[in-house]
Amino acid sequence: MDFAQTYTAEQETFRKEVQQWLDANLPPNLEIPPTFEDYSDELYRMGRDFRRKLGEKGWHAPTWPKDIGGGGLTTDHAIVIGEELSKRKIPTVPDAFGLCAPAISAWGTDEMKRDILPRMLRGEIIVWQCFTEPEAGSDLASLKMRAVKDGDDYVISGQKIFVGYKFGADYLYTLAVTDQTAPRHQNISAFLVPADAPGVDIQSLELIAGGGKRTIFYDDVRVPATLRIGDEGKGWWVAQTTLELEHGGTGRVGARESLIDRIIGYAKGHTAGGQPATKDPQAQQTLVDLYIGSHIGRLFNLRNYWMRTSGRKFVHEGSENSLFGKTYAPKLAAKVLDVLGPYALLSDTHYGPLKGEVENQQREATSTHPGGTPEIQRVIIARRMGLSRTPQEMQGSRDVAGTSTH
Amino acid sequence: MDLSLTPAQEMLKSTAKDFVAQECPKTFVREMDEQGDGFSRTLWQKMADLGWAGMLIPEEFGGAGREFTDLAVLYEEMGRGLLPSPHFSSSVLCALILMEAGSPQQKQSLLPAIAKGEQILALALTEPDYGWEASQVTLSATQSGGGYRLSGTKLFVHDAHIADSLIVAARTRQGVNPRDGITLFLVDGNAAGLSKRVLTGFTGERQNELVFNNVSVTADRVIGAVDGGWGILEKVFEPATAVLCAYMVGGLQEVLEWTVAYGRTRQQFGVPIGTFQRVQDHVVEIVNHLDAARWTTYEALWKLDTHQTGVTEAVAVAKAVTSEAYERGTFHSHEVHAGIGISKEYGLHLYTKKARTLYSYLGDPTFHRKRIASLLAM
Repeated sequence: MDFAQTYTAEQETFRKEVQQWLDANLPPNLEIPPTFEDYSDELYRMGRDFRRKLGEKGWHAPTWPKDIGGGGLTTDHAIVIGEELSKRKIPTVPDAFGLCAPAISAWGTDEMKRDILPRMLRGEIIVWQCFTEPEAGSDLASLKMRAVKDGDDYVISGQKIFVGYKFGADYLYTLAVTDQTAPRHQNISAFLVPADAPGVDIQSLELIAGGGKRTIFYDDVRVPATLRIGDEGKGWWVAQTTLELEHGGTGRVGARESLIDRIIGYAKGHTAGGQPATKDPQAQQTLVDLYIGSHIGRLFNLRNYWMRTSGRKFVHEGSENSLFGKTYAPKLAAKVLDVLGPYALLSDTHYGPLKGEVENQQREATSTHPGGTPEIQRVIIARRMGLSRTPQEMQGSRDVAGTSTH
Repeated sequence: MDLSLTPAQEMLKSTAKDFVAQECPKTFVREMDEQGDGFSRTLWQKMADLGWAGMLIPEEFGGAGREFTDLAVLYEEMGRGLLPSPHFSSSVLCALILMEAGSPQQKQSLLPAIAKGEQILALALTEPDYGWEASQVTLSATQSGGGYRLSGTKLFVHDAHIADSLIVAARTRQGVNPRDGITLFLVDGNAAGLSKRVLTGFTGERQNELVFNNVSVTADRVIGAVDGGWGILEKVFEPATAVLCAYMVGGLQEVLEWTVAYGRTRQQFGVPIGTFQRVQDHVVEIVNHLDAARWTTYEALWKLDTHQTGVTEAVAVAKAVTSEAYERGTFHSHEVHAGIGISKEYGLHLYTKKARTLYSYLGDPTFHRKRIASLLAM
């Protein structure tokens, strides 16, 4: 076994090229702020401009083919680009194309592939994934948004919620019911709705976490049928292209989530009971337990990354990775409260630990639902182990439990 | 990066799997657990004949000189089948101590015999003040004539009842630093003045109380430097602990498979109980614990074999995670199995006992987290 991420000579040469390019093209002061509230319009604009430059270079979607806006590079190159970008803490837009591009690539029309896909891959346009509705969360297939065929168009009405981002989008990757009478799963179609289409009303939500997610009202929004992704009634399967990726299947290499390291560093200088907080035996046990947790998280990511890049078939590993993170964050929030007490809740410029990063984590840890709640991940893991909700489903599932034994 | 096993390791795994399936059915494990010395000399000899007793021992001393990860692959299968043997005491702990610090004469006389399975050795370290800190070694060794006399009590000594020789950690000098002044002695298993008693209870291995009453040891039976024993133990405990973790990972893998199989077949309310999400949750917990244990263990083994930095931390992480994983895993399995889980014939309790016994062996999670805290300069 070899757990080390080693680099080829070609990768190291390429790394120099990336570093030089970033030195020349990265605007100063473009860095992720400690909390989302500090994320200004100005910073966002800078980030978007920079992303376009990255796209022109082909490094926004490095492994996608060149002729459709990617870089035509190998995974080896993509790793280097990813590492160099994350070193410099450049603000990016979540899901800018990550989940929608594969769906278009697999199911979209030639026109979409010629026009919209390249612009997504080059970082010119932003697409939001708009699946969740007020009454359709974990049970996504029960969504109610309607798309009624009218000539060459569809007319879409309904509401999406907890989607998108603080800053704007160009297209809304939307699931809607196109056949009111068809059975569950077979009644849905997928659309790319222009965000500026008449009838689209994007509203803010007052949320404690989640990066400024929005609610969107669609009021008789007219969309040409050419913007449907995949056949009518195939929307569920279009969405499935992206859900495995969303369920933690991608994995990543690199350092551990280092917030716990920063918290440990902070706690060493934090006085509790007349001594550094880390001198208390119970606090030590708590902090080390969290430290170990972040290490396990890193190993799960590393394993999934290795499985994906070496073409191994996933069983439960995607959801396991996702569940681990979704369990770790709330645990971190709860346990930090034991070590730092009420300080953990402060964003106060004087008393707030780590420039508000700890307080931010307290809020973000309440948001474990994106990409499927922990409970949904558990359902998926159990299913992959051979346990399903009905005896019939169980018969069809695997008959031997297996984990990733190498 | 490559997290797969090598072809040689795959081969070893499949040999071990077949061996365990053939030689070590559940009925046998239960018989060994309940009767006699807790192991079969015939089976032990078969294991030795396959070269397993000398896996870590260098070829020049009749062993195979293989890597820790290789041995771990074997240990996973041994742990899966709860294969009863003194392998860990003799061929891992004591063999590594001798390899690390034994005199040429000690190596020559003992290592080949260990590799052949002809000699069984056991390590006597822990005492009534149980723990894995140097300060907890108090059994005294006082100089007498040309040799030493050992007096005191060792407790929770695995495999001592069947050991031909013991490696005993004793205090030869009192000092400010408890790590100084510990010496390792080779003591005959039937030495005059040594009495042994197997401890009873809900234990997964035979553990002994050893009372040393002026046991005489000659000076040539000292292993390594006088007063320098603790450093040897610390060095040996790192790989030994990682290998032990692999044994525990194997056991938990088996527990998972039993639990899933039971969930799929046991019917209540007219359906398999595995259709209930509360039951599924227990299985999910086992899977998560198992994978955390597996990957922290193999990362530690990889670091050991390839001499990476951070071995000490990686081993401590692995044991903290794996001890907890095996204990929690068997708990969740009992929740799913309910009544049948406490049946001796069914045998889940054999894993539960093993998990709880190994929980503390070579340090429990609290001990290892404390080590990490000190590595992080807390």
